[in-house]
Amino acid sequence: MISAERKPFGEIKASIRPHRKILMVGCATCVAECAAGGEKEVGLLASQLRLDAVKEGREIEIKEMTLDRQCVYEFIDQVTPVADQYDVILSLGCGAGVQAMAEVLPKIHIVPALNTTSIAETREAGVWLEDCRGCGDCKLDYFADICPVTRCAKGLFNGPCGGSKEGRCEADPDAQCAWQLIITRLEETGRTASMDEVYPPANWARKQGKGPRKIVREDQRA
Amino acid sequence: MEANQQGVRVAIFFCRQLDPDQDTHRRLLEKELGPRIRFFPLPCSGRIDPLHFLKALETGSDKVYLIACPEGACRYGQGNVRARKRLSYARGLIEEIGFAPESFELIYAAGPLPVSIDTLSRQLLGLGPARSPAVRQAPGSPAIPEKKGETVAVKHE
Amino acid sequence: MSESRLKKVLGGGHFAVTAECGPPKGADPEVIRKKGRLLAGYVDSVNVTDNQTGVVRLSSLAACVILREEGLDPVLQMVARDRNRIALQSDVLGASALGIRNILLLSGDHQSLGNQPEAKGVFDLDSMQLLQTVRQMRDKGIVLGGDQLSSMPDLFIGAVENPFGDPRSYRVARLAKKVRAGAEFIQTQCIYNITRFREFMAEVRDRGLDGKVAILGGITPLKSARMAEYMAKSVAGMDIPPELIDRIKAVPAKEQRREGIKIAVETMEALKEIKGVRGVHIMAIEWEEVVPELVEKAELLPRPGG
Repeated sequence: MISAERKPFGEIKASIRPHRKILMVGCATCVAECAAGGEKEVGLLASQLRLDAVKEGREIEIKEMTLDRQCVYEFIDQVTPVADQYDVILSLGCGAGVQAMAEVLPKIHIVPALNTTSIAETREAGVWLEDCRGCGDCKLDYFADICPVTRCAKGLFNGPCGGSKEGRCEADPDAQCAWQLIITRLEETGRTASMDEVYPPANWARKQGKGPRKIVREDQRA
Repeated sequence: MEANQQGVRVAIFFCRQLDPDQDTHRRLLEKELGPRIRFFPLPCSGRIDPLHFLKALETGSDKVYLIACPEGACRYGQGNVRARKRLSYARGLIEEIGFAPESFELIYAAGPLPVSIDTLSRQLLGLGPARSPAVRQAPGSPAIPEKKGETVAVKHE
Repeated sequence: MSESRLKKVLGGGHFAVTAECGPPKGADPEVIRKKGRLLAGYVDSVNVTDNQTGVVRLSSLAACVILREEGLDPVLQMVARDRNRIALQSDVLGASALGIRNILLLSGDHQSLGNQPEAKGVFDLDSMQLLQTVRQMRDKGIVLGGDQLSSMPDLFIGAVENPFGDPRSYRVARLAKKVRAGAEFIQTQCIYNITRFREFMAEVRDRGLDGKVAILGGITPLKSARMAEYMAKSVAGMDIPPELIDRIKAVPAKEQRREGIKIAVETMEALKEIKGVRGVHIMAIEWEEVVPELVEKAELLPRPGG
């Protein structure tokens, strides 16, 4: 799922100051999965904001909503009828959710409550680990299905570097060395021959694009 | 703040496994303290959600307790361990808004179970025994042994 | 036109000696000149590190030019961390134009380890791809993508290998890959466990790699027991046998440097005897003054005619 984390409370509070009527919009898909922006998280942040307001003797009115997906206009349409009753929308969607809402409601002040990070898997309950950085040129099968772009701190295609120590990465001893994982998996499945050839320089143009990358499918268009 | 101060409003979440007659026993304090106290029975202390703590504050409590079964005695295994983690997270959230983390407290009851929620709560809040001993137990329910003067609740988190 | 002294020495069948020179965290060229003068006559070539451990220092390319002016034969170290392929290939041409004749290509320490942890780590190419790129610039006169160069750089191309890094099972295979990618000489991570290094070299020879690439064994003299312990514990890919640490510890603090020098010399002597090892690479960072003594005591003087 797209992984994100809630911003520090202080940052959120500052970004919605001095508004009193707040519409909080969560998303029930990716950010609910990583416990950052789902219905429950909307409830917790709303509760914090109310308690904080009472503590400071401020008035605050918060409406809580959670959309199935915040990046799809049909769902955002649920927000449209009520949006102008509020001073600001505090979005607990990922970066795409925030921007999609702004496309539908360009005149409304929309503030992100999350820092969107990456594309992750749920490694175990409560632990989300980044797997993909959207390079647009997936060659996972060359690397025993372990992404070197994402999981190697240096993004090496012909690793490991000399800093791999007992399966740990030199940049972060808590992180596993992706290349140790790749080599081990290849050794265990008898596929090490694929490592003999030098993997050529990557095409980073597929990651960078010339601005935002767009996918168009005419067969899917109206 | 001392919970038995006048005016301090308290919410007590507790595990139902502690006291099979909690429905009766909690009414004693509810009657005595009125709206100053609210009880919330849970099927297991591990079912507590940080939102429960925050909502309790939002709806008027000054102090929130969670009473869990003794360590190692959770009927569902790890419930009372999970409770500690959720307490910790909830404390983090209220610290972010400048509230004292001690507004939320986790208490592990001492064994053996069962133990009266009334007795536990009175000890916790520093209150005297029930004013009407006749109402202590519902008719027909088995007597719960109580040792006079002995601490029932233990370990504050 | 200059030529690579390192290449000439190796080509003449001599046991080569190279040393590392760390540039200053400042703009004063005199620091480099001083180090150069210290090393002149004791080594065949001098490596200049490239913002080692992600700490901003006087650039390797500039320092190489300064050393060349002092009459030394520099080895330009170039990491993949800080520059994209445009800048890297450009610097290769620039280095050659400035008379630098040796280049060592490596990944580079992660940027989070240095004094610019918020910097973007580039890694457009990795060290393997960089080797290939430089080799084809020199031999085929093309850049990546195939565009023709108007003239080819003249460089002796090297890479690093760590015989003690993980995964152990893959290290010799990786060396083979670097050779295939274009490495002509290899400088290894510093060696303390000579037994394990001998095993590594046996495997290297089994694969016939000793005939294809010139391997120079890395040497870093230990200054103290504390340094030895620190390196053993905290530096990735370091193998310091506990007996060695005990040996230094057994000696009073004031004499630990002497003991470290002794150990280094013993290791150098041992390297001379290993078939397939064609030289030593002394990395005495911020202790370049000790290099002449090491070279002398290991009976590696005089250096073959400049």
